[in-house]
Formats: sequence, structure tokens, C-alpha cells
Amino acid sequence: MTSIGTGYDLSNSVFSPDGRNFQVEYAMKAVENGGTSIGIKCKDGIVLAVEKIIQSKLLIPKKNKRIQTVDRNIGVVYSGLLPDGRHFVNRCRDECQSFKSIFKTMMPISNLMDRMGIYVQNYTCYNSVRPFGIVSIIGGVDNEDGEPYLYMIEPSGSYWGYNGAATGKGRQIAKSELEKLNYEELTCLEAINHAARIIHLSHEDNKDKDYELEISWCSKEHTGGKHQFISDDLLEQARKLAEEEEEEEDDDEEEEAGADDEEMAP
Amino acid sequence: MSNSAGFDRHITIFSPEGRLYQVEYAFKAINSANITSLGITGQDSAVIISQKKIPDKLLDPKTVSYIFKITPSIGMVATGSIADARAQAMRARSEATEFRYKYGYEMPVESLSRRMANISQLYTQRAYMRPLGVALTFIQVDFADEGRGPQIFKCDPAGYFTGVKAVATGPKQQEATTYLEKKFKKTDAVKGDWQKTVEFAIIALSSVIGTEFRKNDIEIGVATEGEFRILTPEEIDERLISIAEQD
Repeated sequence: MTSIGTGYDLSNSVFSPDGRNFQVEYAMKAVENGGTSIGIKCKDGIVLAVEKIIQSKLLIPKKNKRIQTVDRNIGVVYSGLLPDGRHFVNRCRDECQSFKSIFKTMMPISNLMDRMGIYVQNYTCYNSVRPFGIVSIIGGVDNEDGEPYLYMIEPSGSYWGYNGAATGKGRQIAKSELEKLNYEELTCLEAINHAARIIHLSHEDNKDKDYELEISWCSKEHTGGKHQFISDDLLEQARKLAEEEEEEEDDDEEEEAGADDEEMAP
Repeated sequence: MSNSAGFDRHITIFSPEGRLYQVEYAFKAINSANITSLGITGQDSAVIISQKKIPDKLLDPKTVSYIFKITPSIGMVATGSIADARAQAMRARSEATEFRYKYGYEMPVESLSRRMANISQLYTQRAYMRPLGVALTFIQVDFADEGRGPQIFKCDPAGYFTGVKAVATGPKQQEATTYLEKKFKKTDAVKGDWQKTVEFAIIALSSVIGTEFRKNDIEIGVATEGEFRILTPEEIDERLISIAEQD
């Protein structure tokens, strides 16, 4: 089924003859151009990471944060249209605050997801609005049962829980790396190094531009379940490990290539 | 597409043959999740069953579900787009809650189905909003003194709703309906307790789709008198073992 030029894609909330909403699918395209974001669920918490492409040397490193906190124990990272993302995060914060003001306790993450799912879905129902141009990864340690939760929500408003989630330009590479992890045993400290490595690998296709790494976590052991950015030391260490690993791989490849040459020689 | 030219872009417009194309397209969206679900009446229970697909290894299977508890006694399976399904579940819950507050007793499943169908009808007549791409199957077993017993209702995006002995939704709807019509020709309900009804539902879905199920391939909701609950994978496994022992 062709997806463009049939006229069913010109306004939001219109079904095509096979039951699709093209405006929502185009919103996904906007997401696929954004920098890679990932989330990892560990046995003692969650880790969020994002690849920030450095658009200008004049931008100050470590300012312009992309990962945001919506409640003390919940973090959000997203790929796609950044202003849409900020709107999304503002709504998350409003929901958490209103829940707290009514129930006098912090909002369970599954409740937040229910409400945000409906909110995003609403933007697919009317032709006077457009869908959100973001895929968001939301994670945290739940206040209710103390368990870590990780969700990913799409422009259609559909969301599921994940062990590892990836979105943005390098999501394919990131997903295949995430599938290799053992989520039963993984700890947050290990996951930080994995996150740095996976972001580094997924940057491969976009190598002409430099990127800045941003990582945050909610760890029962290390942050008391609060959502925080990891310390500069940890970040530096993780990034170094990722780069060293890449160099080693390059060396291996060169050696192999060299060996082949020798065999080929008469 | 010559007949539909231009008439299928907007909900408020009839085509020259008197059709509402946008509503017809919404029905196509029901099949998009590629999930088939059934509703089955038992003697003192009603059961909903739905396929459960986990396409992505990274997904957390605990969070994947199309069955919703609406009130303590009403259950719902929504087949189609999950985002629309959750929106409908939220709406159904708030309608049922408001009814309880206003009239002082639990909302009967028939009233809830009629209310949800009426809301869907609005979306087929008013321009501002699209129909939602989900079909809803509600179940409830009435309290004995009310006398209605096990009930199943199905609501669709056209605003149509109907009470049934058994019902199927999804890509295999046609095949499943034929199967169920045959089984329910001479009877109004599956004989036996809720366990037997669940086992019937599993066998029905399994033979229509043509695969053997394991405990994580399906989800099941059971309504008994004044109560609705969703079975755990372990409870589903018990029923699967019981089916295997009968063979």
C-alpha cells in the first residue's frame, strides 16, 4: 500500500481505506530523524541516555540538558521535535502534581502512563491539532512498590512497558545491542557503561557530527530511588570505556584484514 | 476508488450510495493489531479471551493487555488500536463511576454498552472527531436477585450494539462466528462452571486460529456473579493442562 499522495494524508484524524492514520505515521518519521535516546531497566533501577548532536561549537557543553525530571522519582527522555517534548514533559509534571494534590502521595508510574497515553491519543482524534512529533521514554522507581518501571510512548498514544527501549535515528543498532543484555542480573552501574557504549555504537551512522552524551538514573542503591544525572566522573569513565572498546574492535578488524592479506599472498 | 472520490474524507458526509466511508475504514483499523478475541456465555459465568502477541523481545510481557476491568463486576476486551482501546476503557470507567454516583447502584452492563455505543454514534455524525478504531466486548454476571444472569454485549465504531450468546472480533471474525454459531445452535450457554467455559473459549479460539496456545499466548477475563477478574498466566496454564488431560 502506497503511503503518499493518495490524499488521505492531508489532515489529521482521517482514516485511510485500510484503516491507517497517515499523519500519525508521518509524525513517526519526524522522530526517526532525531538523536538516539535509550532507556534500560535494571534490577535496582533504570538508566536513561541520549545522544545530543552538537549543532554549533558555540553551545556550552553540559548546559542544554535533554533529559528531564517530572517527579522526584521519574525521568523522561525523548527523540523528535524538541518543543513537542517540552510540552509533553510539562503535561507529565502537571499530572504528577495534580495527583499528589488529590491523593497526598506520589503518582505511580503506571497511572502517569495511563494519563499520558490518553493525552497523546487525543491529539490523533481531531483535525484541528496535529499528533506529537516525539517518542518518549519514561522511567523511574515506583513510589508504591519500590520496583523500577520503563515505558515508551509513541505519537499514536500507544505505549508498553520495556526492559530496554530505544528511539531516534540509531534505534536499530541500539535495539539489537539492548537485546543482548541480561535484564535479570543487570545493575545500574553496569547499565551506565552499556548505555554509553550503545549510544556510541548507534552514533556510527552519523559520524561526521560530534555528539555529547547525557545519562541519568534512578537507582535504589545509589540515588535512593530519586531521578538524577550521573556524576561527571561516572560519565567520563563510561564514555572512555565506550571509546576504548571501539578502538579495540577497530584493531581486531585491522588484524583480521591483515591476516587475510597474508593468506591471499602467493 | 472511483465511487468514493472525495466522499470518504469527512465523517459528516454521505456518499451517493448512502455510505459513510470513514466509519467503514474505522472497522479496518480493528484488524490492524491482528488480534482475534471472543466472548462466551457460560451457565453462571461469562468469559472473554484474546490473543496476546509479544512481537518485540525487549517488551515487558506483563504490560501487554487488551482486557480491562471497568467496574468490580464489568470486564471489557477491546480489539484494535491500543491507544484508542485505552481511551475507551478510561471513558467506560468514568461513565460507570458517574452512573454509580448519580443513581446509587452499580451500572448494568447493558446500560454501559448502550452509553458507549451512543458516544460512538456521535463520532459518526459530528465533524470534529473521528470514530475510534476499536470494537468493545463487555461482560458481566448479574446478581442473582436481579435475574439477568451472564451477559455479553458488543459495541462497534458505527454506534451499533447488541447482546449476544457468543461473539468474535478481529481478523478471524468470520471463521470464529461460523464456529460459534454451530456450537451455540441448540444451546444458550456452555454447560458447566466457569472453568469449563474458559476451557471451551480456549478450544474455540485455538481451533479457529489453528495454533496450540501456551500460557503466555492468550489472556482471559472471567465474570462470575457480581465479580470480574483477569486470570494470571498460572491459572491459564491450569486450564491448558486440564484441556490436555481430557484429550
